[in-house]
Amino acid sequence: MLDAFSRKAVSADSSGAFIGGGELASLKSFIADGNKRLDAVNAISSNAACIVSDAVAGICCENTGLTAPNGGVYTNRKMAACLRDGEIVLRYVSYALLAGDASVLQDRCLNGLRETYAALGVPTGSAARAVAIMKAASAALITNTNSQPKKAAVTQGDCASLAGEAGSYFDAVISAIS
Amino acid sequence: MKSVITTVVGAADSASRFPSASDMESVQGSIQRAAARLEAAEKLSANYDGIAQRAVDAVYAQYPNGATGRQPRQCATEGKEKCKRDFVHYLRLINYCLVTGGTGPLDELAINGQKEVYKALSIDAGTYVAGFSNMRNDGCSPRDMSGQALTAYNNLLDYVINSLG
Repeated sequence: MLDAFSRKAVSADSSGAFIGGGELASLKSFIADGNKRLDAVNAISSNAACIVSDAVAGICCENTGLTAPNGGVYTNRKMAACLRDGEIVLRYVSYALLAGDASVLQDRCLNGLRETYAALGVPTGSAARAVAIMKAASAALITNTNSQPKKAAVTQGDCASLAGEAGSYFDAVISAIS
Repeated sequence: MKSVITTVVGAADSASRFPSASDMESVQGSIQRAAARLEAAEKLSANYDGIAQRAVDAVYAQYPNGATGRQPRQCATEGKEKCKRDFVHYLRLINYCLVTGGTGPLDELAINGQKEVYKALSIDAGTYVAGFSNMRNDGCSPRDMSGQALTAYNNLLDYVINSLG
């Protein structure tokens, strides 16, 4: 598992170079925006249950066949598995956002997920749509522009780049399963 | 590679929970100290050549006939070049450790197996200790870097010296 700092060390080691001014600039901005990043992770982890259940409810509303007999989440057992998987994906995205690197998400969550879902007969189109809804909800919570009354009482700042970074991790999930 | 953030994430993952408030505090503490570490890394990347050269000179002042004392004087030039190459290698790993905030790069890329290699090649680890001790006394604040940065750098030199002992 790597974070933004050790990623630099690994890539510098492959060429035997010292880590100097240019590479350190992005790490300095990581440090300067450290509090924003922690608030962003907190925005996701504090609202995890809400983000996941909204996303799963969303795919069921958009595609009523999912809850019909033989549908993807027909029976409570499958619905519970779907909610559990949504939470797992969101948890690994929160780890990746905290570390500033996608390696934990790739190694521990996405590696082999497509094959697992194919073997279990999970409808990947619907799963990808649920991840996309989680992406949108997370972006709104990170930038504190969510429509719900539950806004975080933090100093307003520009968190667009962090919302974009979180979005890139959700996109990695979507491309890994679809 | 081990750092504060990967340790926190690993612990959260083994408990299957989202990052908690105390995890955030750990990461925040690491980030606060990171500015000094990055300053040391930056200064080191700019000045490593001189640091290594002074260390080599100090080693050859103490051991004029090379690592084992058996080396004839005419081999000294080649020996000095290899000695400097090794010091630069260690300084590069110290640079990585300063960036990651842990000893992972040194542990994984140098210290594991180090004693066995030097024993097999009949290299006296004492010569390295002499060189790193020179570096340890060479750094000066505020001439080279700020006090906090120098502390982080010296801590890693001490770590290397202890690993050779």
